[in-house]
Amino acid sequence: MVGSSSLLSKLTRYTVLSLILGVMIFPMLWMFRVSLMPAGSISGIASLSNLTITFVNFADLFATGNMLRPLINSVLIGVVVTLGNIFFCFMVAYSLARFRTRLNKILIASVLLVVMIPAHVIIIPLYILCVEAGIYDTYWALILPWLVNPIGIFLVKQYIESVPPSLEEAARIDGASELSIIFRIVMPVCKPALAVLAIQVFFTNWNSFLFPYILTLSDSLRTLPVALALFQGHQAVDWQHLMAGSSLAVLPVLALFLFLQRHIVSGITAGAIKQ
Amino acid sequence: MKQSRKTALLLASPWILTFLIFWAIPLVHSLIIGFTDYQLLKGSEWIGLANYKELLSDQSFLDSLSNTFIFVLGTIPVTTIISLGLALLVNRNFKGRALFRSAYFLPSITSMVVIALIFANLYERGGYVATLAAMIGFTPPEHGFLFDSSTALYSIMAMDVWMSVGYYMLIFLAGLKAIPDELYEAAEIAGASRIRQFFSITLPLLQPVALFILVINSIKSFQVFIEIFVMTSGKFETSTIVYFIYETGLRTDFRLGYASAAAYLLFLIIGGFSLIQFALMRRKQPLW
Repeated sequence: MVGSSSLLSKLTRYTVLSLILGVMIFPMLWMFRVSLMPAGSISGIASLSNLTITFVNFADLFATGNMLRPLINSVLIGVVVTLGNIFFCFMVAYSLARFRTRLNKILIASVLLVVMIPAHVIIIPLYILCVEAGIYDTYWALILPWLVNPIGIFLVKQYIESVPPSLEEAARIDGASELSIIFRIVMPVCKPALAVLAIQVFFTNWNSFLFPYILTLSDSLRTLPVALALFQGHQAVDWQHLMAGSSLAVLPVLALFLFLQRHIVSGITAGAIKQ
Repeated sequence: MKQSRKTALLLASPWILTFLIFWAIPLVHSLIIGFTDYQLLKGSEWIGLANYKELLSDQSFLDSLSNTFIFVLGTIPVTTIISLGLALLVNRNFKGRALFRSAYFLPSITSMVVIALIFANLYERGGYVATLAAMIGFTPPEHGFLFDSSTALYSIMAMDVWMSVGYYMLIFLAGLKAIPDELYEAAEIAGASRIRQFFSITLPLLQPVALFILVINSIKSFQVFIEIFVMTSGKFETSTIVYFIYETGLRTDFRLGYASAAAYLLFLIIGGFSLIQFALMRRKQPLW
């Protein structure tokens, strides 16, 4: 191959890649840019030449409390739901992977069914259920239905199946009780799968909108995405504050993503490719 | 033996409870109330198929249905092709590959609400996109892209393609990785060109992955809601089925029975689509 032609193809490739890169990250950069503009600035293309930077929009959000409570709610619910999933998905996955009862086949079918069912089909009955059970407009409605993620069960089950049962047998000979074997010996071994599960569950929960929106009513129970979607004022949209709030919702995800990239990617492709 | 069955049941109990309480019972419940005129605080009466009949003659439902189909059929092919293109582009080894992959994937992990808000700003009258459109000779809609029936839905669709290509790119990449290198080496020796290799090796072997992507993308796309809620509130001919369910069931007149019937129709449509795609997946001979 001639040097110059390979240099040319390299140049073409990087140009194409960079153009796409620009298209993919521009909207997010734009969000940060608008969030740092003085309130009331015009946010059209002309504002690119406006170089003023101010953090006052962020300060406002916390001062008025508009976004502070939703931020706390999102973190709180995210942590509780993620911990619940780590614990419960592991339990269920262990049961499905290691015990061969007749119930197992039915349970696996039920997990698969829920993976396939479009979740939005149950918004109405879930709403009625929460109203009738008295958990509508409480934290319970935002936590209880989401404590065991069916895809999470599959993810962990696959991992446990790759762990040799001799691990448990050795502990059994040493006289350890069944439950302590499961939680003290097998669970730590499954850390990689549980990490992937935790990240996925936390992200999904952090970004979730429809269910937190329809299952709550009070301002004090709104999560960040819900508060943002309902933030738009009655007259002109207050883009600067809105984009500052949006940045708050994106920054934690962005930070986690930078640190945990590999886990995130393997979590996404885990379910997708089966031999 | 008995002991171990008890343990198995105990361990599985979180899922058994979640499944029964939050999935099985609601699904059956909504099927039943779909045949009633259930309204909150009003009780209900059995009305048979009346809800379903009304839906099929309800213009706002039919509009939502057709918008949803435009959305699904319009975005999925474009998303699939672009994500395959991206996967091929970043599949080879070169410096900075990880950076490009991550950047392309970034929109997929961002909150849909946030993305919808950013694009609502970009699509505004006199906003970024309008200015760009004017520069290349298009006349942008007078009140902004989202406030015009001829552009609103397509603008949202374009945003959705932009947002999801990175995610499907990753799945395609995993599929590309699973293709053994020996196949390409053999083809190289046999003198097959790059293009020939693509059509004879890459594309046929990616078929299961492509069908998988079609299935998950159509399940997701038939339920499009957040973008509509945030960007247009269903106005300017952008209402979709889930938006219709939300509006009739939980916003304006709380006709929960009627909305449940609409939800079941959506369920049947998605189920039918998935079944067709599964049947294609089971076929032994390649599709292309």
